[in-house]
Amino acid sequence: MWKFQLDPVTAKRFQRFRRIKRGYIALLVLATLTGLSLFADFIANRRAIFVWHQGKAYFPTFTFHTMAEFGQKDEFGFDDLEADYVTLKATLKEKGGGFVVMPIVPHDPYEPDFNYPEPPPNPPDSRHLFGTDSQGRDVFARLLYGFRISIFFALSLVLVGQTIGTTIGALQGFLAGKFDLFSQRFIEIWSSLPFLYVVIVISTFVRPSFWMLVVILGMFQWIGITFYMRTEVYREKTREYALAARSFGASRRQLIFRHLLPNCITPLVTFTPFAVVAAISTLTGLDYLGFGLPAPTPSWGEMIDQALQSENRTKIWLAIAPFSALLLTLFLVTLIGESIREAFDPKQYARYE
Amino acid sequence: MPLLEVKNLRTVFDTDVGRVHAVDGVSFSIEKGRTLGMVGESGCGKSVTAASIMRLVPNPPGRIIGGEILWKGRNILDIPSKEMPELRGKEISMIFQDPMTSLNPVFTVRKQMEEVVSRRKGLKGKAADQTIIDMLQTVGIADPSRRVDNYPHELSGGMKQRVMIAMALLAEPDLLIADEPTTALDVTVQAQILHLMKDLQKRLGTAILLITHNMGVVAETCDDVVVMYAGRAIESAPIDELFAANRHPYTRGLLQSIPIPGSNKRDALATIEGVVPSLITPPKGCRFADRCFARQARCTTDDPTLTTIGTGHQVACHFPLEVAR
Repeated sequence: MWKFQLDPVTAKRFQRFRRIKRGYIALLVLATLTGLSLFADFIANRRAIFVWHQGKAYFPTFTFHTMAEFGQKDEFGFDDLEADYVTLKATLKEKGGGFVVMPIVPHDPYEPDFNYPEPPPNPPDSRHLFGTDSQGRDVFARLLYGFRISIFFALSLVLVGQTIGTTIGALQGFLAGKFDLFSQRFIEIWSSLPFLYVVIVISTFVRPSFWMLVVILGMFQWIGITFYMRTEVYREKTREYALAARSFGASRRQLIFRHLLPNCITPLVTFTPFAVVAAISTLTGLDYLGFGLPAPTPSWGEMIDQALQSENRTKIWLAIAPFSALLLTLFLVTLIGESIREAFDPKQYARYE
Repeated sequence: MPLLEVKNLRTVFDTDVGRVHAVDGVSFSIEKGRTLGMVGESGCGKSVTAASIMRLVPNPPGRIIGGEILWKGRNILDIPSKEMPELRGKEISMIFQDPMTSLNPVFTVRKQMEEVVSRRKGLKGKAADQTIIDMLQTVGIADPSRRVDNYPHELSGGMKQRVMIAMALLAEPDLLIADEPTTALDVTVQAQILHLMKDLQKRLGTAILLITHNMGVVAETCDDVVVMYAGRAIESAPIDELFAANRHPYTRGLLQSIPIPGSNKRDALATIEGVVPSLITPPKGCRFADRCFARQARCTTDDPTLTTIGTGHQVACHFPLEVAR
């Protein structure tokens, strides 16, 4: 049981944060986008959201239905493939007997669309608002699913990293002495490892999955926050309330995690948004270099990589989409982080006249 | 067997300029239900003694290098540090000098007290509420059901100290160590707090170790007194005897330097000449010798030990003073 209660000073800081409009709006926008991305399967998908066919209801978003179930056949006469809901929608509209509710964007990020006279990538048109990529996949769908992956990857990485970093930093500050001395030296050595090479080396052994990458990057992400937590705890532990807490029988663990850490959250809160920015950029960078998530995972880095291929230099939509998405996301997170930092800055409201 | 018996306690701090012998062979004992006053100038080792009893000497730089602290016959210094939280806050609890900083600024009073209640009595949440509010009422906080949700910075100094005392008492300890509990408070609140502690002592039979440099407080609340000087206990006696029949020149100097209201203002207040010796290189012989008006040759070479000279009266002096008539 560890209820995290905000002290009034921190509560005031959050009030102040709300008053900094740009940060607050950025937070709302980003939260909305993140929330929406959770429902990406209902926004961009070639499977229908809802099908009413001959008196039966279907919710095919997460389930597989064959063509046979809806009386469809492909041009070669097979009917055990996945149903084609777009065609089904047209058929039902024409002949009656049911209806189909399709997502706003009736494409998923994997399905190639070769129904163009030109080979992909094809420029934006009414069918693919953002165009298609070099394998004929819908750019908007890939952007959307890529956003979901990026943001949740960044949040997981930062959560894991900051938790480890905070714990280790707090222990360094609290235990001090030999533990501090040796762990600090370890951190110095560890942080001087060129992490990109480590990731490249590791990813030649194991096929990096989402969580594998979180672990690999987490091995380096935690370092940054330790320095701040260490000094915070160093200072807080000498305050008299810490002594008083011990005199009332608090064990070391209770003292560190229940009494001291809540007094040390300022650096954590102010650095975390920037850590998210770094995490998104890192994942995009790794994907761009091809050491990130394996194909065909929709990812911004991979999209940028495509856009920068020499044969795609003239296909400008391939570059505009991922770059503006990346720019917008990083801008929003940075705005949030910068506003939090401002809200926590004591100089803002200590005025001497 | 006394509740607490400290024997020849030695606590040092290793600093850059050398080893500070903050507590250098202190002995005293406390009986159940009694109040022992510990008096002395700033830096004489009172607080370090208290911290040593709780095993809360910051290490490094501090270290207990000798002696015994017998708690109900068991040496506290031999208890594994993992078991210490069982002792602290259950059998012994402590009130700190500065109420302004001894409460955790990020938690409400309720939250902080709840922790003590849950540790001591296993009560949590709603079940603990009544106990907490009752105790706040007992220590004289008006409107406790509202105050309980306040943060420390919303309370006055006196209230904070009452909350500290309430927390210490919630633990229902056998020994309450009060390290200058009233120094930071104004005089009217001081009296109330002291009264409160005595009151609770009567009800619960708690022994109190009261650390102070205020002789008035000692006179009012203590049963016995230990006078400390430069890391040593130099005289200990029951309260009446100490005031009426003190034998150590330092004790006498200390008592004479209390201003008496209404005395002739033209008479200068008696002071003790000189300064406390360095605790890094304590002088050979009696530590007070330098400042002592009754100093003799032997005082600078031989170290006096605490010797019994009357019922419950011990003094560390080669040439104890005659009792003033």
